Amino acid sequence: MTSYFRSLGLALAAAGALTTASAVAQAEEVQKGGTVVVQMKGEQRILNPGLRASTGVYYITGKIMEPLIDKSYEGYEPVLATDWSSSDDGLHITLKLREGVNWHDGKPFTCDDVAFSAMELWKKLLNYSSALQANLESVDCPDPHTAVFNYSKPMPMDLFLAAMPDLGHPVPKHLYEGTDILKNKYNTAPVGTGPFKFVEYQRGQYVMAVKNDDYWREGYPYLDRIVWRFINDKSAAAAALESGEVQESGFIGISMADIERLSKDDRFDVGTMGYENNVAHSTVEFNHRNPILADLKVRQAMYHGLDIDYAIKTIMRGYAKPGRGPIPTAGGANYTDQVPTYAYDPELAKKMLDEAGYPVKDDGYRFHLRHRPAPWGEYTQLWAEYYAQAMKEIGIDVEILTNDAPGFLKGVYRDHDFDTANGWHQFRSDPAVSTMVWLRSGQPEGTPWTNQFGWKDAEIDQMIDDAASELDPAKRAEMYHTIQAKAMEELPVIFAIEHPFISVTSKKLHNHHNTPRWNSSSWYDLWIEQ
Amino acid sequence: MRFPFPPILIYALRRLLQAVPVVILIMIGTFLLLKLAPGDTVDALVGDMGGADADFIARLRAEYGLDQPVWVQLWRYMTKLATFDFGWSFVYEQPVSTVLMDRLGTTLLLMATSLSIAFTVGTALGAIAARRAYSATDNLISVLGLVFYATPSFFLSLMMMLLFSVKLGWLPVGGIKTIAGFYTGWDHVIDVAKHLIMPTAALSLIYLSFYLRLMRASVLEVADLDYVRTARAKGAGEMRLMIHHIMRNALLPVVTLLGLQFSTVLGGSVVVETIFTLPGLGQLAYQAVVQRDMNTLMGIIFLCALIVVVVNFLTDLLYARLDSRIELA
Amino acid sequence: MTSLDTDLSPAEPPRLVVFWRRYRRNRAALLGLAIFVLVVLMALTAGIVDPDDPLRRAGVPLTPPFTDWSTPLGTDQLGRDVLSGVFYGARISLLIGVVATLVAIAIGVVIGALAGYFGGWVDDVLMRVTEAFQTIPNFVLLLTLVAILGSKIEWITLAIGIVSWTAPARMVRAEFMSLRGREFVDAARNLGVSNTAIIFKEILPNALPPIVVYASVIMALSILLESALAFLALGDPNYASWGNMIGQGRAVLRSAPYCAVIPGIAIVLTVLSFSLLGEGLNDALNPRQKKQ
Repeated sequence: MTSYFRSLGLALAAAGALTTASAVAQAEEVQKGGTVVVQMKGEQRILNPGLRASTGVYYITGKIMEPLIDKSYEGYEPVLATDWSSSDDGLHITLKLREGVNWHDGKPFTCDDVAFSAMELWKKLLNYSSALQANLESVDCPDPHTAVFNYSKPMPMDLFLAAMPDLGHPVPKHLYEGTDILKNKYNTAPVGTGPFKFVEYQRGQYVMAVKNDDYWREGYPYLDRIVWRFINDKSAAAAALESGEVQESGFIGISMADIERLSKDDRFDVGTMGYENNVAHSTVEFNHRNPILADLKVRQAMYHGLDIDYAIKTIMRGYAKPGRGPIPTAGGANYTDQVPTYAYDPELAKKMLDEAGYPVKDDGYRFHLRHRPAPWGEYTQLWAEYYAQAMKEIGIDVEILTNDAPGFLKGVYRDHDFDTANGWHQFRSDPAVSTMVWLRSGQPEGTPWTNQFGWKDAEIDQMIDDAASELDPAKRAEMYHTIQAKAMEELPVIFAIEHPFISVTSKKLHNHHNTPRWNSSSWYDLWIEQ
Repeated sequence: MRFPFPPILIYALRRLLQAVPVVILIMIGTFLLLKLAPGDTVDALVGDMGGADADFIARLRAEYGLDQPVWVQLWRYMTKLATFDFGWSFVYEQPVSTVLMDRLGTTLLLMATSLSIAFTVGTALGAIAARRAYSATDNLISVLGLVFYATPSFFLSLMMMLLFSVKLGWLPVGGIKTIAGFYTGWDHVIDVAKHLIMPTAALSLIYLSFYLRLMRASVLEVADLDYVRTARAKGAGEMRLMIHHIMRNALLPVVTLLGLQFSTVLGGSVVVETIFTLPGLGQLAYQAVVQRDMNTLMGIIFLCALIVVVVNFLTDLLYARLDSRIELA
Repeated sequence: MTSLDTDLSPAEPPRLVVFWRRYRRNRAALLGLAIFVLVVLMALTAGIVDPDDPLRRAGVPLTPPFTDWSTPLGTDQLGRDVLSGVFYGARISLLIGVVATLVAIAIGVVIGALAGYFGGWVDDVLMRVTEAFQTIPNFVLLLTLVAILGSKIEWITLAIGIVSWTAPARMVRAEFMSLRGREFVDAARNLGVSNTAIIFKEILPNALPPIVVYASVIMALSILLESALAFLALGDPNYASWGNMIGQGRAVLRSAPYCAVIPGIAIVLTVLSFSLLGEGLNDALNPRQKKQ
């Protein structure tokens, strides 16, 4: 597993589109103190990573509450757990916990906290995690610094480890036990073990945290204070960066045009480093209940009608690659580029549509589609408009139905009232816990970001299930290659563009973007030039 | 000397009473309206979270009472509201009253400054324009006012931000204060004032032209009335004429507008607050709609209704003060 | 501009000549008329200027203005022709302005006429409803309506109409209240003319002038409201509208400002022309106000 993540980092480094500011920074003298202000696009209202699994939540709470295990470019990094092992039958996972760690209120961190969090939050309340921990029976504490996770069915160690950095944040038991966990006041005023202590959360304005003097990593953190400012408007956010009010903007917090512009500005580092764990696909999703779209030839023709390179150049400003199915290049060993592809060829697309039995009719179109774009703004919206534009060129009329987020989610995932849709879907380090839910049939009705497309293919279902329970990494990778090729052939969803997220960071910051999930990490070694 | 107060009080109290059914109508209407919107707050929350499994979603819906019929939800809400309990915001995980009180100050500040600037500058310019009616000065003032009015506020805001924050570096980009600046006393006041300059300008320029045009028309009309002519014939100075005889009466329709405009300004501040990331009610209302945060939106509408009622009450009193001869229907 | 003046002096024939004579005294209003005619011409000739779909790719994305004569005002992020967007956008903006105004005035006239003509409890109920609509911030109501209906252009237009009817309703009501006691109404009533006929045939024509003036205000507001919606990414992307162009152009505001500034100027000029038209109409239709 370790080598898997190292090769992932190297593969991305070799891929080119990265900045390497942190390497230079190592050589300089560290300055202690100072405040870093971070721009956040959306406001996160629940600040408890044990209750809400979301990158936006980690962006803030990662500095305040720590996971048991994190990721670095070298592999898994012990944080609150120092060692981990699995029994041969895969039913018991034993974690050694770090000693001498205190919660911000001075109480010691022990196995009780882990057991409570796992049973009461991760298994019951945490999105994504409740499926992962469905077979968790109990957590034993043979001593205060050993935790044993007992499962009723084997839990593959690599899946457990892959999940822990995101889905393994313990909460202090003494503040949660016996309360209504969903309404606990510490959900918005987190108490953790991290390098920074929560100070205040002004709704609609900012969250502030200050240095934890009692932090277990001696001599850290370097910063005095971190402030997360909520700036929704992308133009305003770019202005805040330029005027020096904000030092970092992550997760594509400003427009792609401004990202490109600031990448040429020598005050900023702009790059995709630090997002190896957060790669996304811009998609075109089909409603297979529509008989026209159920026709494979039509879907393939539509793919041929999309000029992906043009979209990457104009919409994503080059910070992206053509998608190759459900697993991105960041998927490491599970990724392959040995898959069928669909070159941009509108003439071929028209010919295929003619052959499929959809000639151009009197109104100038072959057929009409109702398209729902995800309202995530800027590039997602442009991608929807480009898609509509491109389809028109090959004789398909696409009407775009714009709704706000609840309207979109209901329209696509609950009501299935669409012909095509687009959005982006994040790949979460392992296909088993992320993109496979887009292909596997039988997803509970109405669950967002799962296969609600009416797509059902017994063969693919079987392959997905087999791969998820395969314990040999090499065989598992092989199986995912097959799935990927099959998905590119059958096109249940077009994973059109693979794009990492992008950060714009002031060059005053050092040791930034130096782990594969940096914006979610604790920033204990981040420092700022005064 | 007459005593205008008893009748005005009765009139004002009658208007207060009439406001009660209006407020109830608004609350029920808004509730049902928002229920018509596709998707609910759980959709929005799950969307923010980046997804969740089916059990989790079902549990949230039950927790928030969204699995109940609309009429039950409405009844529950209205009975709580009757005791001035605004309920809980599932999006902010706070009582709605706390969420609202956090934002009210900013919004009132923004509105008070914007409206008073719009009002004073607008009426002054309007009066000047009217006294020089159909001259080049009049044309210039009038057209300028119309241009401000015609410029979309977001466009104006972005342009100002570009000039004053990015190019010149004089004013902060957004927010209500310098975060982690920890200013106290006068420094704090100055800090907040600096943050409010651009949003206030953006908001007041729109409404300035309303007052300007209304005042101009009003002054023109009053200036022709007999008593003003009499005063002029008696040799009253132009300045005295303006202040004592014209302004006083010309202000009447303008004051009416002021009362009516409160909720319009709150609507207009949605965009301005969004751009300048001001933590006010306008932005909160927009977020509440998009997040289907029913309780919060209902709270804002209710608060807004209360404020409009109070402002109207005050306008009535002011109206009577300005024109003691007013007839109360 | 929202004059509630009622006594319209009887127009001497030929009416149009008198009207025009009064209108043209206001030089600013003439300017407004000129701009308005220009915008209408743009809307009419859009299909001639660019016979193709304005949303199609017309050139290299982000070509600056005046560099390529096939796209004289440049292209946007997706290579769409800005000039053709401005021309087709004139259509959409005028359409939204006119239709939303008609909707608002239709609702306003019916409610205001009923309230003003019948008075009593009808008036009470209708005025409470009007007050309710006035109390809710209109932009928040608009956002809610768009959230419910979705961002189709028909719905956006309807929603703008629905949030704009209260002022005309109040004006119509005031007119009706003062006109319903006049002799000609009594005469009609004595002749056994029905209420409907009295309302629409006898009183309404006399109550219309201030409404016509106010229509220009609603038109102007409608265009501004649509652009604010588009700014919040709630516009209808199936049409080239000025609001949409600004909404998307602001992403490239710093590197290619013309994408937002050109449609921005179009909006400013159009809204300005409506306002100036309104002043001219006011001078022409309510001449009592002007005694210079």
